[in-house]
Amino acid sequence: MPEKCRLTVKRTMNGFYIGISGINAVDNPGPGIGVARSLREDTDLGAKIVGLAYDALEPGVYMDWIVGKSFILPYPSSDGDALVERLLYIKRNHGLDVVIPNLDAELPLYIKHAPMLADNGIRTFLPDMRQFRLRGKDRLCDIASRINISLPLTKVVNSVDELLRAIEELGLPVMVKGIFYKASKSYTAAEAVAHFHELVAEWGYPVILQQVVAGDEMNVVGLGDGEGNSLGMVGIKKLSITALGKIWTGVTVKNARMLAATENFIHEFKWRGPFEMECIVNGDEVFLIEINPRFPAWSYFATGVGINLPSRLVRRAFEMPVPPPPRYEAGKLFVRYTYELVTDMTNFKKAVTRGETP
Amino acid sequence: MNKFGCSPAYARRIRDDIDGVAVADLVETFGSPLFVYSEGFIRKKYRQMHTAFSTRYPNVAFGWSYKTNYLNAICALMHQQGSLAEVVSDMEYEKARALGMPGEKIIFNGPHKPAAALEKAVREGAMIHADHLDELYDLERVAQGAGQPVPLGIRLNLDAGIYPQWSRFGFNLESGQALEAVRRIKNGGKLRLRGLHCHIGTFIMDASAYSRQVKKMVAFAYKVEKLFGFSIEYLDIGGGFPSRNRLKGVYLTPEIALPSVDEFAEAVTETLSKELRPGDFPKLIVEAGRAMVDEAGRLITTVVASKRLPDGTRAYIVDAGVNLLFTANWYKLNIEIDRESGGVNEQSIVYGPLCMNIDVVDEGVQLPPLSRGTRLIVSPVGAYNQTQSMQFIEYRPAAVLIGESGMVDLIREAESLPDIIQREKLPDRLALKKLP
Amino acid sequence: MQKLARLAISEEGFVFDPASGDSFQVSQTGLEILAGLKNGKDDGEISRWLLEKYEVSMEDALRDVADFIACLKNAGLL
Repeated sequence: MPEKCRLTVKRTMNGFYIGISGINAVDNPGPGIGVARSLREDTDLGAKIVGLAYDALEPGVYMDWIVGKSFILPYPSSDGDALVERLLYIKRNHGLDVVIPNLDAELPLYIKHAPMLADNGIRTFLPDMRQFRLRGKDRLCDIASRINISLPLTKVVNSVDELLRAIEELGLPVMVKGIFYKASKSYTAAEAVAHFHELVAEWGYPVILQQVVAGDEMNVVGLGDGEGNSLGMVGIKKLSITALGKIWTGVTVKNARMLAATENFIHEFKWRGPFEMECIVNGDEVFLIEINPRFPAWSYFATGVGINLPSRLVRRAFEMPVPPPPRYEAGKLFVRYTYELVTDMTNFKKAVTRGETP
Repeated sequence: MNKFGCSPAYARRIRDDIDGVAVADLVETFGSPLFVYSEGFIRKKYRQMHTAFSTRYPNVAFGWSYKTNYLNAICALMHQQGSLAEVVSDMEYEKARALGMPGEKIIFNGPHKPAAALEKAVREGAMIHADHLDELYDLERVAQGAGQPVPLGIRLNLDAGIYPQWSRFGFNLESGQALEAVRRIKNGGKLRLRGLHCHIGTFIMDASAYSRQVKKMVAFAYKVEKLFGFSIEYLDIGGGFPSRNRLKGVYLTPEIALPSVDEFAEAVTETLSKELRPGDFPKLIVEAGRAMVDEAGRLITTVVASKRLPDGTRAYIVDAGVNLLFTANWYKLNIEIDRESGGVNEQSIVYGPLCMNIDVVDEGVQLPPLSRGTRLIVSPVGAYNQTQSMQFIEYRPAAVLIGESGMVDLIREAESLPDIIQREKLPDRLALKKLP
Repeated sequence: MQKLARLAISEEGFVFDPASGDSFQVSQTGLEILAGLKNGKDDGEISRWLLEKYEVSMEDALRDVADFIACLKNAGLL
C-alpha cells in the first residue's frame, strides 16, 4: 500500500483547514488577518483559511486573497454547545482541522471545549483553564513576582464607591480597564467613573484600575510549547498609536530584561499557545501591564522579521518538527496602512441569510 | 445582524418536557403558571456537593437554607438526604419544627430572634448563632432561667476579599469586635461558646474567598480557645455558592465563569488541613442553598398576548412576572419554548402580568414569533423565587415535584380568593348592602 | 407601494433597499406577504392566501400579516 501512505503524508503536509477568528480588520483590528496571512506565507502548510466571524461585515469575510470561506459563529456569550455544534458543522460541510481563536472573550469557551473538539478532529493549541485564569487582569500580581518584573499598583473594583477609594490610593491619571477589553486613561475621577460605567455595560464586572507608569510601551509576542520552552518571540516598541491606542507604526527591539521576563513566563507557567506581553520599559525597570493569552493584532510583524509564530503553532499542534526559532533583527519597521476593496453584495447576502460565504 | 449568534438552530431552545413529563400535560393538570421541581436533580446535586466536601474532610454536615426554598416537600427532601435545617427567623424555626425536625438539628441564624423564639430554641437545644450584642443579653437572660450555661455560636463578618463585604451581620473580626463579644460571653458566665459561623456573601464566584474566610475562622477559633478556654466544636462557613445562573453584567456563560463545586470544596478543605492542628477535626457545616436547588426549579408560564412597541420591538405578555420571578432582577434567566415556531428570531421583551412598569421578565431575548398559548419554561428558578413570591394582584400558582420515577406530586396548591382574604376583617358598618 | 417595488429581494429572504441602502432579512412567509403587497393585495386577501397555503388559523394569519406590515411601516417601507 505504498501509494496510500504517500497520499496520507501529502494530505497532512498540504491542505490544513485552519479556522481563524478575529478577522475584523477594522480600526480596532482583531488579530485574525495577520495570523491568516502568516499561515499562507508558510506555503508548505498549504493552509486553507476558514474565516470565523461574528458579523457579516467583518472585513476578512471579503478578503478572498487571504480568507477562503467564512462562517458566522454564535457569540461567545452564548453557551458552549452552540459553538461546538457550529464548528462541527463547519468540519462536516467544509473542513476544519485546527482553530486559532484570536479574541479574548472566546478563549475560555475554546479552552473548556478543547478536549471535545480534539475528539472530533479539531485541534487547538491553547493554555489550560488554570493558566488562563492566572493571567487574568485581576491576578497579574502573582505572575509579576514569579517572573521578576515590576507591576504598577493595580486595584480590582466592583463599584463606583470602590473606584473612588482606589483612585485616592493610585492617584490621577489612572488607567481604567475592562476585564476583557479596552483600557482608557482617565485624568479626573469623573472621567474614570464614566469609563467605569461604559466598561461595565459592555463587559461586566470587575473593572481594573492601574497606576499610570512612565516609560516606553513595549510588547512581546510569544509562543510557548506547554512544556516550558519558547517556540519563538519578538519584542517591539510602539512608535505611534491610533486614537484607540492601537499600534500604527512600530520597531523591533531587543530589550534583554523584557525578553528574559518573557522567557521566565513561558518557563515558570509552562505556557501553552500564543500570548502577548504588554510592558512599559523605563530605563532598567520593566513593568508588566497585561498578558493577553492570544496573538496580538500585529502578529504579522513577527512573521515579517522571520519568526512565523502562527505557522509554528500549527506545526506544533500537528506534532510536526518545529526548528529552533531564528534570530530576528532589532530595528525593523512596521507600518500599518489603510486599503479599500470594492465588491458586490454576494458574500454579505450569503453571510446574512446562510451564515456562510459561498 | 448576527443571526447565527441566535439562529433557529442555536438559540431557539425547545423544551416540551421536564424530566420526561410533558409540559402540556403539566399545565393541563395543574394550570399556568406552574413551579416545577425535579427531585432527581436535587438528590443528585446534594450527593455531588456532599461528596465533594466529605471525601476531602472527615467531619462534614450540610444545613438546608430554608429561606432559599421552604416548601415542605423541598425541605423534607433535603432532610431525607441528611441536611440539618438552617433557619433565619421564628417563622422558619416553627416551620422546621412542624416538619418534624428536632431542635438540635436546627441552626438558628438571623438578625431577628424574638425573646420567646430564643427561649424555645434554647429549650429545644437548637444551634443558635448570635448576631449582635443585644442577642447575647437576651440569651443570658434565658440562660439565667434555665439554670445552666447555654451553648451558642456567634456569627462573624470578615474581609475575605469579596465586594461588597457583608458587614451588617454578626461581629466584625478585623476590628476586634468579635473578640470583644467572646470576652463578654466569658465574663457573663452564663453562655458557652462552641461554634463559629460566617457567611461571606451570595453568588461568590471566586473559590479563593472561602479559603481566606476559613483561614481567618480557624485562627480566631484557636485564639478564643487559648484566651478564654472555650472549645470550638464546629465551623459553619455559611453558603453563597453560585448556581449555574447567569448574573446580569457577567459576559460569559456560567459554565465558563463559575468555579465547580469541587473547586470550592478544595479551597475550603485544603485551607482547613493547612490551618488546623494535626488531629483537630471540628465539624464543618456548609449552608448551601442556591447551589443546591436553583437549577432544580423551573417555572412554566404562558404567552397571553403579543404586541409591537412604538420603536418596533416585539413584546410578549406572559402570565408570570416579577411577582413570581423575583430573581429576574439580578439574573438573566433562561427562556425555553414548548414548541417549534417558524420565522426568524427577533429581539423581544417579555413582560409579566402586573400592571406595573417594573414587571419585566426579560428585557431582551431572541425569540421566534410566538403564538398565544405558547408556554415559556423559565429557569433556573428553584432558589428564592418561591419564598419571595407575592400575592400582588395575582394568585400564587401551584408547585409540583417530579419524582425520580416520573411521578408528579402536587406540593403546593394554586391559591384562590380565600387565601387572599381569610385574614381580613370587614367592619359591619362597611359591609356592602346586597342589591335587591 | 412605490417603495416596495424598488426593493431587491433574493429567494433566501435577503431584502435590499437601493434608495436607503438598508438591508433586511425576512422569513418565507414574509417573502410571500411582500409579494402580495407588491401585487396590490390587501391584508385580508394576503391572509386568505396564507390560509389556503399553510395550516394556520385565520386569526394567526391576520395577526402575522398585521405584524409584518407594522414592521414594514417601522422600517419606513410603507
